[in-house]
Amino acid sequence: MDGLMQELVARYNYWIYVILMMIGFYAMIGKRNLVKKLLGMNIFQTAIILFFVSIGVKNQGSIPILSKKQALEGVADVAQVINPLPHVLMLTAIVVGVSVTGVALAVLQRIYKEYGTLEEDEILEKISKR
Amino acid sequence: MNKRSPLKILALCSTLITGALLLYGTKDFPAWGDPNSPASAHLSPHIIENAAKTTNAPNLVTAVLGDYRGYDTMFETVVIFCAGIAVTAILRRPRS
Repeated sequence: MDGLMQELVARYNYWIYVILMMIGFYAMIGKRNLVKKLLGMNIFQTAIILFFVSIGVKNQGSIPILSKKQALEGVADVAQVINPLPHVLMLTAIVVGVSVTGVALAVLQRIYKEYGTLEEDEILEKISKR
Repeated sequence: MNKRSPLKILALCSTLITGALLLYGTKDFPAWGDPNSPASAHLSPHIIENAAKTTNAPNLVTAVLGDYRGYDTMFETVVIFCAGIAVTAILRRPRS
């Protein structure tokens, strides 16, 4: 039990992301409203983005913007500057996520125009009646 | 209650199983803020030491995004462009 507590305190960030991911995953596969599914996808994405950003954190590290002296003389201490690479990758991921959300919202709007509802079972009913 | 509830229970079960597996997997991860974690050990020291000198950008994120990964960032705009085309194609009213 003590070992588990220590584990939890050292890695509580991962626990938060896993719980966020579970919320998003359940919303994606368990909800019947299509907008809620989309929101679930966004929560899932946020969990993964936070996970990647937290990988780059260093204790006693500052933001990855160098001061003038550090930049000119090239004396940046690796332990003092956090890892910039996960931040870059997540910028890319955010752009792709925004595109996906935009297209998904457009499709949802089209579905609503066609069927007058965004509930999955009602849409299936209307499709089977045609 | 309704006939859909077994599916929801199935969804909840698979969510919990996935979550439990992931939580089990975090056992092998480096602790939070560990400066020697694998992600910070290979390429990132090189970038922190050299990026400002080679690209003249004090912001390391900008240096990597706009210089080392310049083509990636340029073709990001293609992704946005494709999304915009898709949205207009979906929402466009047919001329009739």
